[in-house]
Amino acid sequence: MKHSVNRPPTPDAADDRGKEPTLQEIINIKLIESGEKERLMELLRERLMECGWKDEMKALCRAYIKKKGRNNVTVDDLVHLITPKGRASIPDSVKAELLQRIRSFLVSATL
Amino acid sequence: MSSKISGQVSPQPCPHILDFRSRNGSKPFRALQDCIRVKAPGGRAAIRREPSEVPRCGTCEESSRPRLYACVACAAVFCHAPPLHSHASSHALSIPGHEIAVDVDRAELFCCACRDQVYDRDFDAAVVLAQTITATATTSTSGSTGMQCNIAGSQPENLRKRRRVDYRPWAPDSREHAIIGNHSMPLNDTTNASSISSTELPWGLRGLNNLGNTCFMNSVLQALLHTPPLRNYFLSDRHNRYYCQQKNGALNGTKNSRLCLACDMDAMFSAVFSGDRTPYSPAKFLYSWWQHAANLASYEQQDAHEFFISMLDGIHEKVEKDKRKSQSPGSGDCCIAHRVFSGILRSDVMCMACGFTSTTYDPCVDISLDLEPNQGGSGKSSSTKSHNSCNVEADFVGSSQNCGISTLKGCLERFTRAEKLGSDQKFFCQKCQVRQESLKQMSIRKLPLVSCFHIKRFEHSSIRKMPRKVDRYLQFPFSLDMAPYLSSSILRSRFGNRIFPFDADEQDASNDLSSEFELFAVVTHSGRLDAGHYVTYLRLSNQWYKCDDAWITRVNENIVRAAQGYMMFYVQKMLYYKASEKQAASGYDVQR
Repeated sequence: MKHSVNRPPTPDAADDRGKEPTLQEIINIKLIESGEKERLMELLRERLMECGWKDEMKALCRAYIKKKGRNNVTVDDLVHLITPKGRASIPDSVKAELLQRIRSFLVSATL
Repeated sequence: MSSKISGQVSPQPCPHILDFRSRNGSKPFRALQDCIRVKAPGGRAAIRREPSEVPRCGTCEESSRPRLYACVACAAVFCHAPPLHSHASSHALSIPGHEIAVDVDRAELFCCACRDQVYDRDFDAAVVLAQTITATATTSTSGSTGMQCNIAGSQPENLRKRRRVDYRPWAPDSREHAIIGNHSMPLNDTTNASSISSTELPWGLRGLNNLGNTCFMNSVLQALLHTPPLRNYFLSDRHNRYYCQQKNGALNGTKNSRLCLACDMDAMFSAVFSGDRTPYSPAKFLYSWWQHAANLASYEQQDAHEFFISMLDGIHEKVEKDKRKSQSPGSGDCCIAHRVFSGILRSDVMCMACGFTSTTYDPCVDISLDLEPNQGGSGKSSSTKSHNSCNVEADFVGSSQNCGISTLKGCLERFTRAEKLGSDQKFFCQKCQVRQESLKQMSIRKLPLVSCFHIKRFEHSSIRKMPRKVDRYLQFPFSLDMAPYLSSSILRSRFGNRIFPFDADEQDASNDLSSEFELFAVVTHSGRLDAGHYVTYLRLSNQWYKCDDAWITRVNENIVRAAQGYMMFYVQKMLYYKASEKQAASGYDVQR
């Protein structure tokens, strides 16, 4: 276990295979490396908590668990349950704000 | 299927993790410990071999998956994206012994074979430790503790000394029987035989006459008259008004006879529980209260909550002069009002720059809760940055936004939520020695015997001269478990889904069982701010009664559920005796 931990990180698979990284990949890596992704995640968490989205999802999960029984539910079940509803109920304002932030980041990153 | 570890229910481990633990010695997750990365103080924990590592699935090379798991056995990272595919599960199934993985972004263990989260105490302890270290917690002001794994040390005194005594049923022996018989009056009514037996109303239900816009007082009095510990206290003669007044020389008719709200309460209890059903006029009580709260003495409608606080204060004030004020605040040893209603709130303020946490404990006799302003907006009435931005955007929220009903539990969740004190509310950090943006979180350190929840329906705004009333409906449960709002639960949840290695003492074991409450009274308000009416609903033997000044009627529980709650009174389901040196631990003090 110790050895595998100290092993250098998996080499960039794209270089290895000679495959071109997708645009999404590039953006993602840039976001992570600059720390912007983390900031965006925190912002998203804050917004979703404020507008009660998190509470709604929590309530959905609780209701489901109550119905099925605590020992008959897995994390995957819950993720499967709330993903469609969760995605649909994100306020437009939150989407707009985050898209705006990402756009600004991209603009500043290419400069 | 689950076991209790120091009071907290923890899920039964799956066979794979048990197997993993047994095969990998005493510290199977030791190597992972070095990979725990916590960014901001008190922030989330992630697993990275190097701080700058970008985790990527070994099979599909995707790094933008929402769930990436690192196999604990071989450190290979895979994605888990059901129902499309799960490269993590494929890996687990292909190599035995590689079932356990860790979520790289959440530092939570996962069994890829069972496809469910699993827990390990040592691992969780290591994560919590890492998060706590970055928070650089140290002890802070006013005898309180910082955010630590093991929050022992300087707890409020009264809690450390408290021990719980198991319930032992008591029945009077022949001597005690005689004493009881000689010193009490049977409730079997002999005066108004006709009006009693015909009605089905239980004991102690008696209308209160409105003495001129006094429904604010009547409503609260009705609730207090049926607050079990308070009722028991007065009905078992723990405050004898004759003895008290004699002590104060009131019976001599001296002009400076000290007013005693407790005596007036005692008189009211006697009158209300006498069996007489004709409406009672609490004139003496009103007069005494006017003398105590001179600024509120008028024939105008007052606020019921304000009256409640003022009344408790009045009972406390009187007693304080008798005994020396040596008891710690929040212990409830000072007077019956505090014994029944006093709890302790804990407030944690964490500096977001350095992580230093300041913890304070404050006693409280009730909890005032904000209603959410409009659908889509939430938060406390204090003007936080986020509150403002959400309010504006509430107008733009699409129809997809679910406008749920406000619930009492929702209000409590918001009350105990971590709140960012933004740039306009910077808190002075002792460590940084400057004002910094901080994170504030409230929780309940000690529950009172009776919890009174006050809903802030009267908005005082600086813009308008007149406060506004919020009529928004609030759903409240008949049974309420306060466990999630206790400090122990709130602190635990700060670290995510962890088996928290709390000390059993810290847990304050009595909190486990006594966090369940039952609703017994609801004070409702209808109408406008300046022209409104208070009505109380009482629950006796699981029947609901509407107390509208002098009129008492039995009502269906659905009427109560639909009412506009302003103050809700919950009593602990199980009452415990506090260990005491006296022979008679709690009940009757037979000796006089």
